[in-house]
Amino acid sequence: MATSNRRRGGGPVLELKGLCKCFGGLNAVQAVDLKIFPGDRKAIIGPNGAGKTTLFNVITGVLPATSGQALLFGVNITGWPSHRRTALGMARTFQVTSLFPKLTVLDNVLLAITGLRWSKFVMWRPLSSYRDVHEKARRLLESAGYWDRRDVEVRNLSHGERRQVEIVLGLASDPKLLLLDEPAAGLASGESREMAQFLKRLDPELAILLIEHDMDVVFDVVDRISVLHFGEVVEEGTTEEIRASERVQEIYLGTG
Amino acid sequence: MSSGIARSFSWGVVAAGLAFGAGVSRDAGAAQELRIGFLAPTTGIFAQVGKDMTNGFQLYLDEVKGDFAGAKVKFIVEDEEGKPPVGVRKVEKLIRQDKVHMFIGGLLASTGYALAPVSTRLKTVYVASIPAADDLTQRDSAKFPYLVRTGWTSSQPNHPFGEWACEQGYKRIAAIAADYAFGHEVVGGFQKAFEACGGRIIQKIWPPLGTIDFGPFLPAIKKDADAIFTLMVGPMSLQFPKQLASAGIKKPVLGGGTSYDEFVLPSMGDEVIGHVSALQYSAALETPQNAAFVKKYRGKYGKVPSYYSESNYTTAQMIHEVMKRTKGKWPGAQQFVKLLASVKLETARGPVRLDEMKNPVHNVYIRKVERKKLHGYDKDELWNSVIKTYPNVGQFWKFGKNEFLKQPVYSRDFPPCKHCE
Amino acid sequence: MKDGHAPRRKLLIVGAALLAVLVITPFSGSYVIVLVTHALIFAILAMSLDILLGYTGLPSLGQAAYLGMGGYLTAILATRYQFGLDWTFWVVVALGMLIGAATAAFFGLFAIRATGVYFLMITLALGMCVWGLAYRWNSVTGGDNGIVLPPRPDFGIQLADDLTFFYVVFGFFLASLVMMTILVGSPFGRSLVGIRENELRMRILGYNTWLHKYIAFIIAGAFGGLAGVLWAHAHGLVSPEDVILATSVDALLMVVLGGPGTLVGGALGAGIVVALREYLSTLVPWWQYVLGGVYVLTILYLPGGLMSIPERVRRWRAQSRGAGVEKSLESASH
Repeated sequence: MATSNRRRGGGPVLELKGLCKCFGGLNAVQAVDLKIFPGDRKAIIGPNGAGKTTLFNVITGVLPATSGQALLFGVNITGWPSHRRTALGMARTFQVTSLFPKLTVLDNVLLAITGLRWSKFVMWRPLSSYRDVHEKARRLLESAGYWDRRDVEVRNLSHGERRQVEIVLGLASDPKLLLLDEPAAGLASGESREMAQFLKRLDPELAILLIEHDMDVVFDVVDRISVLHFGEVVEEGTTEEIRASERVQEIYLGTG
Repeated sequence: MSSGIARSFSWGVVAAGLAFGAGVSRDAGAAQELRIGFLAPTTGIFAQVGKDMTNGFQLYLDEVKGDFAGAKVKFIVEDEEGKPPVGVRKVEKLIRQDKVHMFIGGLLASTGYALAPVSTRLKTVYVASIPAADDLTQRDSAKFPYLVRTGWTSSQPNHPFGEWACEQGYKRIAAIAADYAFGHEVVGGFQKAFEACGGRIIQKIWPPLGTIDFGPFLPAIKKDADAIFTLMVGPMSLQFPKQLASAGIKKPVLGGGTSYDEFVLPSMGDEVIGHVSALQYSAALETPQNAAFVKKYRGKYGKVPSYYSESNYTTAQMIHEVMKRTKGKWPGAQQFVKLLASVKLETARGPVRLDEMKNPVHNVYIRKVERKKLHGYDKDELWNSVIKTYPNVGQFWKFGKNEFLKQPVYSRDFPPCKHCE
Repeated sequence: MKDGHAPRRKLLIVGAALLAVLVITPFSGSYVIVLVTHALIFAILAMSLDILLGYTGLPSLGQAAYLGMGGYLTAILATRYQFGLDWTFWVVVALGMLIGAATAAFFGLFAIRATGVYFLMITLALGMCVWGLAYRWNSVTGGDNGIVLPPRPDFGIQLADDLTFFYVVFGFFLASLVMMTILVGSPFGRSLVGIRENELRMRILGYNTWLHKYIAFIIAGAFGGLAGVLWAHAHGLVSPEDVILATSVDALLMVVLGGPGTLVGGALGAGIVVALREYLSTLVPWWQYVLGGVYVLTILYLPGGLMSIPERVRRWRAQSRGAGVEKSLESASH
């Protein structure tokens, strides 16, 4: 799928050029180059502390980059705050579930939808009177299978369900690029499989970049994998290539 | 969010409270009851002063067994916390709910300024026994037809004090006083009189209200000043003399009356001996009337009365005098004010009468702090010994009422410091 | 937002309660009228704070500053320029809200950067600045004497009459309540709740959370200014004592007591605090401990404030009912 898109000549959704992030003397992310095209499904794997989440934070603007560039649809977004990146078509989920626990599923999604509309500044008419917003929420929740439970407070959902709702939130901004930080973290194996199915059901035009430890999910969902080690990309390739790579075996077995 | 049971319940409580209030407030009394509201700080940093105020009035009431010429006195004390807005709220309560005939007290000058308009608005007599803000009975007097002052104006004792300072041969005096309206008026009065007889105020230092560390201010005092004039309040008045002594400054110290009030005197040490101040009262006054008052007060409350006690004791005495004339009948607010303003009485502080602006004309005593035995008590104690008496001093001193009222009220910048170097 | 029935019933009960206040008060003693007026003004202040504390999660300790700005503006205009004592009263109301908003817009530049306890400290410090200004800027504010206002405005309607003034204040209170209720239900209001719940998430969702908080801060300031205008006329006096920390703390505790994030909770808290403070203080000298005790107990045992009681009762009932069902099942299986 990804290759076909590339052949069609679409530019990359996201491009990283020598992106670095240092904390004092520690180079958490070192000169990372990366290209993601529309419809790509890509995973970043690596042992704990490899800098995966830091890389995500730099890409999404939670942390400022030390050097290098990030381009979104060819636009240099390196110094941009998070909300502007989101507006351009990037969405992310967090390693630790980040939702509005005391609000209902519907409210969570509504907030996500209005986040990119001017109506978020409207003070004189109730949110419930915005039909289009509600329609969209309904569509999103129906396709994710949560419409029946829209009035449940998120804190009353199971962990696996919360992870899925979080992805629905990410989709509310109609992103072209979705960054998933360990979507299957802490899930039971049954839940992981559900999650993998859920991800595969998503819009094929959507580019997904995910961090994941659960290799079953990774091999099930993505086409290409980058391996991060001590902040550097040490391997890049298709799932088969990575599965076969000795270097990767070494890293994961700790002999590298 | 939660539903309405709590709301309806709690609003019910509020409503019940309202109804309760309504019930209590309808208590218009018999003709022979005289309801007096009294405002004093009974909590907070001024609580002790408030106690002195209340005790003074209460002592007189106890002496006459709560009976003013046939009128039974209902004495209602409210806590004004030393805060003007609280005072206003309590007065609203006293007038509207307790239906008092008059209210008395308030501690701070600012509280006096806040309460006087309420007396006008609600047409109720206000007897300012303590608040000394000059303008209440000077430039703003016409605005407050229901106000009578039985205390003093801040500048009143300091006019003769200024003249006394000239007599001592002081030529150059440095003033250091708490930075608020009362301090400004005390210093202003002293400066005006002192400079009128040839003296010079060579500097004015204004430490903020509540200063306890005078370290930054003491070195600024001019070395060539003949004396220091000071006014401090609360904890400031304890700290200032101590730090002045330990800084080795040995100049004569003159102080506004409240700086060495009997209320703080027992807590002070020998460093204040020799300090001189001026006020319309001293517990050390050796008249039979005052000696009796001091003994009664001390017997009952275990401490020497302060001016706060005396002023309210005397106020009670003056109100009693009015009620004697009306034979215990409430004469109506306007008439009461007129009668009270015409009272002439021999009191603990000496002879008192009121001028046409309803402010007392009374003696001003120049007092020197001494350690001695007095009034038959067998221990050496600090007393404000009277060293000179200026009889029948009014609020305008020798300046003439019309002339005086033409100048602005004493403030930080008035009189201007012409001789400041 | 959940379903249609609860809000309608809530609306009904709040409406009935307000109507009760409106109807009962005029027949109470004149002191009660004054007290209810005070409570309503403080209710506006408490509700404005609830926008910050309850909805946005910003615990401001400087709300008295806006009360002070509104109050001093009213007093200065009235005493120096005799402005605002006829129909121009309405202009002063607008100016009061404007100066509250402007002050908040200025303070917000410093405060909004911070969160949690730092936000608390900064707002506290800024509030103290306003107190300092009121206390020290003698030539304008009258220093510790404050400013005594002339009699209340008269524009055909005489506000000097306490009952009339009560009706007018009630009108302002109602208008504020309605406006703020609409606000918290609007997309903007819901965004504040989102920020309270998870600010980082909101940023990722495309909200400029700083801007939203800043706007909320300004709106709260505007309503604080309105409360100040009314407060000045209610008392006939503005004093630095109105602007002290204790006023801000009171407002905060009113919200906490009534229930943050409910608006009416703040109003309820204001009613209770004013009633306790004014009544209790005339009865017993230790009233402050009672008030303190009420606060402590509320915070410890009723974090949702008084407004959370029905929810708790319902949950408790549901629980005990559930337990009952289990028991009956158990006995059936034996």
